[in-house]
Amino acid sequence: MEIAISIILGCCALGAGFAMIAGIGPGIGEGNAVAKACEAIGRQPECKGDVTTTMLMGCAIAETTGLYALVIAILLLFVTPGMFIDILMNTLG
Amino acid sequence: MKVDAAVKRETRYIAYACAILSVFMQAVFVLLKKWDYTVVLGNLLSYAAAVLNFYMMGLTVQKAVSMEATDAKKLMRSSQTLRNAGMFVVIVIGVVAPCFQIAAVIVPVFFPRIAVSFRPLIKDKKEVIEK
Repeated sequence: MEIAISIILGCCALGAGFAMIAGIGPGIGEGNAVAKACEAIGRQPECKGDVTTTMLMGCAIAETTGLYALVIAILLLFVTPGMFIDILMNTLG
Repeated sequence: MKVDAAVKRETRYIAYACAILSVFMQAVFVLLKKWDYTVVLGNLLSYAAAVLNFYMMGLTVQKAVSMEATDAKKLMRSSQTLRNAGMFVVIVIGVVAPCFQIAAVIVPVFFPRIAVSFRPLIKDKKEVIEK
């Protein structure tokens, strides 16, 4: 029983870790987008307002990918182990 | 630091859109007969975190566009990491504390994404009216 619970907890922690790999992408993507925006504003300073608005929307979309990963990781760490352990207890009586 | 007009305008739009979506979510909970004070508390916590996260992102973008490209990249990455850490803390509190409903905490985190999807429609309508 203890081994089964340990495997469940270990797998949930591993899954959370793997899920957070997706958290790397938005940081890199947002960084590149802002760098390109800086170059665009450098070429056409009068477009700063439009570029900032578009950037904000783009960053919000990119950010969501990281948040999906974060939510999945949190659920795997704090919610799923309890559910699986309950199922295991009920199955074994 | 003076907050840019674009940042203020977009944050206001996100705040209004998230509020409307929150009302829809509350209505769904009422229809499912699962509505209680934990849903409201969870929704408030998550709504505040989502709007604050967007506002912080706006401030970072405002600061970054006036920097060199390489410095802007670094600033944006570090800001994203910090904001993600903040969101992690908020969501963990929402999931662990019994006074918050888990679904009501998690769903509003994605409201800014939905609000951004509807943004072009609203913009196009405004442009048509102005023309």
